[in-house]
Amino acid sequence: MSTAYPIPSDISPVTVKNTASLLRIVALALISGAAIASRLFAVVNFESIIHEFCFRSRATRVLAAKGFYEFWNWFDPTAWYPLGRVVGGTVYPGLMVTSGVIYNILHALNLPVDIRNVCVLLAPGFSALTAWATYMFTKEMKDESAGLLAAAFIGIVPGYISRSVAGSYDNEAIAIFLLMFTFYCWIKALKQGSALFGTVAAVFYFYMVAAWGGYVFITNMIPLHALVLVLMGRYSDRLYVAYSSWYAIGTLSSMQVPFVGFQPVSTSEHMGALGVFGLLQIVAFGQLVRTHVSSQQFQKLLFGSVVATGILGAFAFIFLTYKGMIAPWTGRFYSLWDTGYAKKYIPIIASVSEHQPTAWPSFFMDLQFLIFLFPAGVILCFRELRDEHLFVIIYAVMASYFAGVMVRLMLTLTPVVCVASAIALSTLLDTYIDPTEPPVPEDVDDAASVATNGSSAGPAPKKGKKAANTSAIPGAKGVLGDILSATTPATKGAAAKPKGIFGIDARLVVILNTLMMLFFFVFHCTWVTSNAYSSPSVVLASQNPDGSQHIIDDFREAYYWLRQNTPQDAVVMSWWDYGYQIAGMADRPTLVDNNTWNNTHIATVGKAMSSSEEVAYPILRKHDVDYVLVIFGGLIGYSGDDINKFLWMVRIAQGVWPDEIQEPNYFTPQGEYRIDDRASTAMKESLMYKMSYYRFNELFGGNTGTDRVRQQQVPKVGPTLDYLDEAFTSENWIVRIYQVKKEDSLGRDLKSANHFSQGKKRKRSKPAPRRRAIV
Amino acid sequence: MKSLIFAGLCALLALPSSLAATNTQQQLSQLAAAGNGIIKLNTETFDLLTSPKRTWSASIQLTALDSKRRCNPCKEFNPSWDSVAKAWTHVPADKRNEHFFATLDFDDGSAVFQRLGLASAPIVYHYPATEGPRKLVSGNTSPVKYDFAEGFEAGPLAQYLSKYTPVTIPYRDPIDWARWITIAIGSIGSLLFLRFISPIVQNKWTWAAVTVITSLVMTSGYMFTRIRNSPFNGGDGNWIASGYQNQFGQEVQVVAFIYGLLAFAFLMLTMVVPLQSSPSRQRMQVYLWTGVIMIVYSVLVSLFRVKNRGYPFKLFL
Repeated sequence: MSTAYPIPSDISPVTVKNTASLLRIVALALISGAAIASRLFAVVNFESIIHEFCFRSRATRVLAAKGFYEFWNWFDPTAWYPLGRVVGGTVYPGLMVTSGVIYNILHALNLPVDIRNVCVLLAPGFSALTAWATYMFTKEMKDESAGLLAAAFIGIVPGYISRSVAGSYDNEAIAIFLLMFTFYCWIKALKQGSALFGTVAAVFYFYMVAAWGGYVFITNMIPLHALVLVLMGRYSDRLYVAYSSWYAIGTLSSMQVPFVGFQPVSTSEHMGALGVFGLLQIVAFGQLVRTHVSSQQFQKLLFGSVVATGILGAFAFIFLTYKGMIAPWTGRFYSLWDTGYAKKYIPIIASVSEHQPTAWPSFFMDLQFLIFLFPAGVILCFRELRDEHLFVIIYAVMASYFAGVMVRLMLTLTPVVCVASAIALSTLLDTYIDPTEPPVPEDVDDAASVATNGSSAGPAPKKGKKAANTSAIPGAKGVLGDILSATTPATKGAAAKPKGIFGIDARLVVILNTLMMLFFFVFHCTWVTSNAYSSPSVVLASQNPDGSQHIIDDFREAYYWLRQNTPQDAVVMSWWDYGYQIAGMADRPTLVDNNTWNNTHIATVGKAMSSSEEVAYPILRKHDVDYVLVIFGGLIGYSGDDINKFLWMVRIAQGVWPDEIQEPNYFTPQGEYRIDDRASTAMKESLMYKMSYYRFNELFGGNTGTDRVRQQQVPKVGPTLDYLDEAFTSENWIVRIYQVKKEDSLGRDLKSANHFSQGKKRKRSKPAPRRRAIV
Repeated sequence: MKSLIFAGLCALLALPSSLAATNTQQQLSQLAAAGNGIIKLNTETFDLLTSPKRTWSASIQLTALDSKRRCNPCKEFNPSWDSVAKAWTHVPADKRNEHFFATLDFDDGSAVFQRLGLASAPIVYHYPATEGPRKLVSGNTSPVKYDFAEGFEAGPLAQYLSKYTPVTIPYRDPIDWARWITIAIGSIGSLLFLRFISPIVQNKWTWAAVTVITSLVMTSGYMFTRIRNSPFNGGDGNWIASGYQNQFGQEVQVVAFIYGLLAFAFLMLTMVVPLQSSPSRQRMQVYLWTGVIMIVYSVLVSLFRVKNRGYPFKLFL
């Protein structure tokens, strides 16, 4: 057989095999190294700090210092003041326990590592494990080479890096590894009909339940896969063993997590898994009876009874839901299906920036060329369509829908995109690297071009394309026939037509093009990671005119001010986005924080922020608020500030007090959202507006100030504050802290007391009668 | 005319307020009964209905229905308003007369529009009671504006107004018979049809096409345009929305097409080209599809550069 390029023939197959496996190990090690290294931009550029969700690091500290039981029973009185928070029952403990275990192992090995460094480097470490899990998963789909490609993709793809840079100590950091490994175990269990792998899948599922609320994705993906297999008539004993072992053990163990509790048997999200479990039992029973009974009529009867049982079960489920025995879908999951639901009924979910829908540039930014290779990979899965390929197909459809609805769920789409595009790319490379030349058929119509094969190796693609345009039209019929034969089952096609590529130049063109795209992908990922995803949310970076980096460190400045200058028990009120940060960095009690479990409490804060000082003051006093913290970006143009979030505060407050807070009042009569002279009265009177723009004009020395975020001029006469005192304003005015005044010692209301001390006369409607009496 | 007389009567008599209020309320309820649940207002009756001493509450639609005013939203909204008001007439009389639905047309009371400083229509105001047992707990007596955040549908309107009425407005969406019949016929038809098209349904390539098209559409931001109600394009030939987190409907089509073309080119290279038995023809196809990939990919990258100005890379374009 002729080959396109010379290959050595004197190597034994064993040597080839050993070298290949050594190369695989080296490649995987390098991929892990790349995955970890590319996540260290944040630590290198800034420093080893935990970017967000300081609460989890605080909880981990408790876990490391006091042990597991202390952590489990930890009641945190400083969060959600004055309610407090039972941490053990309201948290997914997987992340903290993982880092606690790592910390203890390192200390047992006499490596005195600070718990903070464990937290910071946990996400990069787990991303290396994710790469390995993806390799294993893809290996089951195609082969090792596709697996290596998939591992490399997921190692550096920005869609996953966005949630796993060093220092982002978030549940997703370990969750994606668990997701991929659970899926791998499931595929393995399904392929082998192995109860062992089913159990391993269940154990990792339990770990996932303990780590991330997104476990519901697994809870529904695996049953969906099983259901599709049954519907396609692909039921087998392997499926039965794998699913039953996974479901039974996984469900029982997941109920051990206190935050989950009895949800797996009482809420709608989990009912699909239960239903498929029941269905599998019925189908298995049907199969069993069928093997023992020959009468055709009896089989019909059996079929009928199976269907009837299924329908009865479905009705029972509907009935139970109707009676309220089974809770309907929780809001967060329901809003995935009915996309208008959250905005209407639970604004708090709709207000989170990561719950917004995804526009296409985000997809391209996060996945780059994988996003268009991925459909090709899905088609290749259809070509072979083994049981495990169905899994990838279902996963692809579900995840691309979810990722379109919520930016945050891009994270669940990323693995399947990596897997599918690795399948596509490695099939392409397999085809074009394979040195075997197919036999040249006798009826070659243009033999001349075959003769010039060798010399035409390096023509520019332009020339080739021009020629292709002319020859493509007569060849159209042939191409159509080829598509048909490509889509018919492979066994027939292979027998009928030889497959392969002729000549070295055709191979080189495709391979070089692919290599170029891969290089571009690496550059893209590096750029995105270093520029977009590696700035911690508490430290902002900007560029000086000369190009050097300028770090804006207002948040930490303000939090340290709070820590140094206020009493330990001073309650700080802010919007909930900053709750964890204040608790972690300033170590002060907060009213609301990122764990948004109590909507009313958040609405109370929203009401205080959006009503006038006179209305807000009693609320502040009743909640023992000593300091109010607002984020204001108008001076340097930081767009994620509180005035831009203000409408959500209004909406959330309106949900609880529709009589007192109305969203339209905060717009101008023309329906614009303005902060300048034309702003509505409610807007100008609101506490948030006053706190943001208090003394803002003074910065501009008599000229009118300009808000750089809204691009509007603030009113000439700035707002005045009677019930609050400005306590601290950070360097770039991003964080402003106000102290709440105590009640006046003479019993006056603070407004008139303020007027008195400023020497303004109180307006009297009539002269004081008492004086006359004295005279 | 009738209403003029009432207003005149009121002004003349200047009775003690409680008595006057009771009288006015009776008159208003008669007016409402006459107008099929809706009081047709003019400037005088508007003042009567919204008199500062009212023990009743009122929801008022301010609109401009005359065709010369060319207010299309007014005409769209009016049926919803009528049906909600009609539903209110089914409430028992004692409760019914504590709350009124009224409509003020611009041509009947432009003075009111001027006084309220209104420049647009339709607008719905709810005037809560200022006196008596139905005064709001919060003490708010100024009118509340309904914001049309959920469109001109009657359902949300009834739900919103029910918060202020003495009893919930018994409004129910009319059953959309046409829709149900369509669904029924459609499902029966497709079940029958299934027998003939079952080879297509059972073919995996049908499913492959459905799957891939779904993912392509979803990853091109279709759900974004659905949820945000983005327009199809920006008018005057501008079809690219500015801003990284924003897009128009037409972008979905263009981007999905580009993705699909690139994926198709890869599939041709992988699945079809190796089957080609003539070397020269195969070479042409390899160059053709590689060229397609290069050029379309360059187009995609330059499109992305339009959306994300800071993106530093570019290909051949």
